[in-house]
Amino acid sequence: MNGRMHALLRLLSVQGSWNYERMQGIGMGYAAEPLLDDLRLADPLRHTEAVVRSAEFFNANPYLAGLALGAAARAEYDAVPGEQVARLRTALAGPLGALGDGLFWAGILPATAGLALAAVALGARWWAVLGFLVVFNAFRLITSWWALRTGLEAGMRVGGAISASVVPRAATRTGATAAFAVGLAAPVVSAWLLHPFGARGVSSALLIAAAGLVLARWSGARFTAPRFGLLALGATLLLRLVMA
Amino acid sequence: MSGIEPGTVLMLLVWGTLAGLDLVSVPQAMLCRPLVAATVAGALLGDVDAGLRVGAVLELFALDVLPVGAVRYPDYGPASVGAAAIAAGAPWELSLGVAVGIGILLATVGGWSLLVLRRLNAIAVQRHTAALRSGESRVIRRLHYAALARDALRSAALTALALGSAGVAVRWLHPTRETAVALTIAAIGAGAASALGGALRGAGAGSRRRWLAVGGAVGTAVGVTVWGLR
Repeated sequence: MNGRMHALLRLLSVQGSWNYERMQGIGMGYAAEPLLDDLRLADPLRHTEAVVRSAEFFNANPYLAGLALGAAARAEYDAVPGEQVARLRTALAGPLGALGDGLFWAGILPATAGLALAAVALGARWWAVLGFLVVFNAFRLITSWWALRTGLEAGMRVGGAISASVVPRAATRTGATAAFAVGLAAPVVSAWLLHPFGARGVSSALLIAAAGLVLARWSGARFTAPRFGLLALGATLLLRLVMA
Repeated sequence: MSGIEPGTVLMLLVWGTLAGLDLVSVPQAMLCRPLVAATVAGALLGDVDAGLRVGAVLELFALDVLPVGAVRYPDYGPASVGAAAIAAGAPWELSLGVAVGIGILLATVGGWSLLVLRRLNAIAVQRHTAALRSGESRVIRRLHYAALARDALRSAALTALALGSAGVAVRWLHPTRETAVALTIAAIGAGAASALGGALRGAGAGSRRRWLAVGGAVGTAVGVTVWGLR
């Protein structure tokens, strides 16, 4: 089967046509095209059916979507019945979403961003930003390549391949690193930016931060960061106007 | 902002568009993160430090949100470009609060624009259902490229709005020194609360919460040691 590199490149835009109808479906169909090319000559009817299936509804973490893409493509070449291929894609979507979101969005991203923030504050400046981009994208590209390759090799047995890999354990470990990094970054960045304002500035910021944490605890996910930011800035502005 | 060369405005527009595209469409390489988007914008404006400071505070806000699945999340990329344009060349103690406030507003508008984009993409898919059912690869490709073009247009419009807002802010928003400082302090406090609040929510009650506390303790010690002694 050819077209792995093309498929990997196309996976970079797997969410490019995200919509409420098929979610990542069109993006998956777009990424599957180079993988299914050889099937066009070998079995044109099967190729047409495979193209239809490849663009059906799908949603998972974009960095692990290659597992489903590769596994489905392998299954098409192995002449697995179409309904089973469709069921495989459906069965993979949820777990790949949870696993990838845990690994990247709740793990590697906050971990690398938090460490970069602390490094910026401590004087690394734009080198820290560059380091963040390099480290995050190294993780991301290696994972995407591994995902596509594993999917293509495992086919219908992709579930076992995922369980046997380091990905489920890595998701747990990166979560702890992320928590540490964000915990580290918030006070370091605050101290860096607040020190010119003296004790009064620090105590005012601490008061606002405490209010924010109480609100976050009380209201859960409903009270988002932008809402609290605008509320804090609006209240400050109002207070200044009243005092003037 | 008002004294920026047209060439620089064009480069900011291109950069903001790339950052907007990066959020969901392509390449999802984290160019959209405020720390990255604002720093590069600051560099284009000749004031990397302003970009770093604005980017750091907006990044604290952005850490609250996990961009998972179909949820609506703010688009901080173009917003960070606009925020950096407000802060560039001005004393940061006075401009940071205003820049962050407008950045958050723009990021929220960006989040709404994503909903519109996703609906437009869905309409396009519905129109081509028959062709998709007959397995036409050409249609899949065309739908995908059209959606990418739509997102590029959305990102460019959002960046133009951000730069326009920055121009208006620099020209017309002149709070007193005390108010500007108060806004900066409020933005920093709110940013720290957002990052920690998000981390607390995601940490649950297990070992992650302990690691968050350890990080907080180490960070506080580092902050007091490094800046408390100056």
